Amino acid sequence: MLPFFANLLLVLPSVSHAGKHLRWVLLLLCLAGVAPSARARATPEVAAQRQQSQPLPPDLSTALPPRRPDANQLRELAGQRDFRYEEPKASTDAWDAFWARVWKRLGRLLDHRIGNFPWRYVIYAVALGILVFAVLKLLQVDITGAFGRSAQRQPLAYDTATEDIHEVDFPARIAEAEAAGNFRLATRLGYLEVLKHLTDGGFIRWQPDKTNHAYLSELAAGPLREAFRSATWQFEYVWYGDLRLTSTLYHEARTGQRVVSSLLSGHRRGTLRATALPG
Amino acid sequence: MENENTFQNPDPTAVEAASAPTPASAFAPRTDFARLTAQTDAIRAEIGKIIVGQQELLELLLTAVLADGHVLLEGVPGVAKTLMAKLLARTLEVPFSRIQFTPDLMPSDVLGTSVFRQNKSDFEFRPGPIFASVVLIDEINRAPAKTQSALFEVMEERTVTQDGTAYPMAEPFLVLATQNPIEQEGTYRLPEAQLDRFLFKLHVGYPTLAEEVQILSGHHAGLGSTHLEAVQPILSAADLQALRQQVCQQRVEPNILEYIAKLVGQTRVHRSLYLGASPRASLALLNGAKALAALRGRDFVTPEDVQFLAPSVLRHRIMLTPEREMEGGTPDEVVRQIMQAIEVPR
Repeated sequence: MLPFFANLLLVLPSVSHAGKHLRWVLLLLCLAGVAPSARARATPEVAAQRQQSQPLPPDLSTALPPRRPDANQLRELAGQRDFRYEEPKASTDAWDAFWARVWKRLGRLLDHRIGNFPWRYVIYAVALGILVFAVLKLLQVDITGAFGRSAQRQPLAYDTATEDIHEVDFPARIAEAEAAGNFRLATRLGYLEVLKHLTDGGFIRWQPDKTNHAYLSELAAGPLREAFRSATWQFEYVWYGDLRLTSTLYHEARTGQRVVSSLLSGHRRGTLRATALPG
Repeated sequence: MENENTFQNPDPTAVEAASAPTPASAFAPRTDFARLTAQTDAIRAEIGKIIVGQQELLELLLTAVLADGHVLLEGVPGVAKTLMAKLLARTLEVPFSRIQFTPDLMPSDVLGTSVFRQNKSDFEFRPGPIFASVVLIDEINRAPAKTQSALFEVMEERTVTQDGTAYPMAEPFLVLATQNPIEQEGTYRLPEAQLDRFLFKLHVGYPTLAEEVQILSGHHAGLGSTHLEAVQPILSAADLQALRQQVCQQRVEPNILEYIAKLVGQTRVHRSLYLGASPRASLALLNGAKALAALRGRDFVTPEDVQFLAPSVLRHRIMLTPEREMEGGTPDEVVRQIMQAIEVPR
């Protein structure tokens, strides 16, 4: 133990200033270690034991070359940023300066009150909201139905402006189709016009994904529904069934459509509304 | 706002059919469906001797028969799935067989096997129970995937290949399979390739209150034990062939074809779906719609037919994403969303 402390005493002065104080401590420890050693030397058993535990002399027969790190590698490591232990100097880059200013202001905002309002709670709430939103987005969770009523119908993922029944000038386009002898198209336009009248009158709810029969089931039983049923059959026969229309047949189809429209205009708005189906 | 208050959203299932006008009208149907209507009405009446209600299910079954497609009936035990399939088979005057699927059933138990003939020193093929015109496979999901796979070839190609020889099936060939929901004990999920071979997957639901009361009253009056023999065969193989030919000649406008393609195509890009429907689904939807239109007395297909059949055609061909499944979503719900997002051709 004593040689160990003695060696440390020799080494410490070259290490640092802190070693100056430590030297005195070690010196005291060395002195304290001398007394028991002297007492041990006094007994013959200890002397014999000490003689047995003598360290072997160093083997000097084989010359060992000293190993040193590669100078090039040392130079390379010294050049790397991770191995430089100096404090980084303040960046002169405008981008870094901008972010430093942002963080500084943000820190000030979080630490102090601006006026009487604790803005940091707003920032915490916004951050929390963004985090929750990001998590829900990642999990693809649909929360639209979480608050009471289920989600409304999805908006249509296509452009319906070209076929919006509220934007089409039906009389003009029907006249055009009739003049061109395109009775099939004229029948279609006439049927769409009927749907527009029914929608405007509040008898059906227009939705491009609904079938004609869905509209039919929205009407209450009565003459209007029967007239619409007949007009629907004629339209479907012409449009989906590719029925070849003569002028006579076309006029019959148009008459059926006009019957629906006249029934609509003949009644006060709302008197024929759907009441047959349970809500 | 007034409209909002007075408008009543109808039940989507209660969609009315626009009936064809009387023959005197200039718009009277040009195709005569009298024979088809009479025969299908007779089948309905025969099955109605035993089964109470289930009219929509019966219409879909008849659609599948006319469209030459196989049907998978799914429902909890006790809702007359097997009985419905047996009764439908009885109304068709064609060879019928029934296979009860069990966990230890082997492919050769279904398809048949080659047996060594000692006197001739060669192998002879002994056809299995699949060799019939109407095959009722009861509890199809009780057999493991190995046995299920035995049905792939015969359901799609209508042949059974054994020892290098192909044995064609007789026409018509119709598989009616039943299964309990997959959550039930001791069942196996059907492979997707096999599910795709079914034209429709139909849910057999519980009867309504009125129907159940009718079942109970009939049973109480001693009518519950009506024998299946009371149901008479209506359609022969030749009759069915003639009706199917009529169905094949149905008119389908290009905009309806496009509508079908859009519906099926949307299943392949929908964010709630892990697996979309194949082109076979488009063909199934088209064939089904043609048959349904004929059943409803029309020689042309409308978007109504397509919308009516879309859930039955698509629900077993699509797979929900795990997240959607965890949220409690169903394939029917996704199909409905898809239909809502696509404009009806008009």
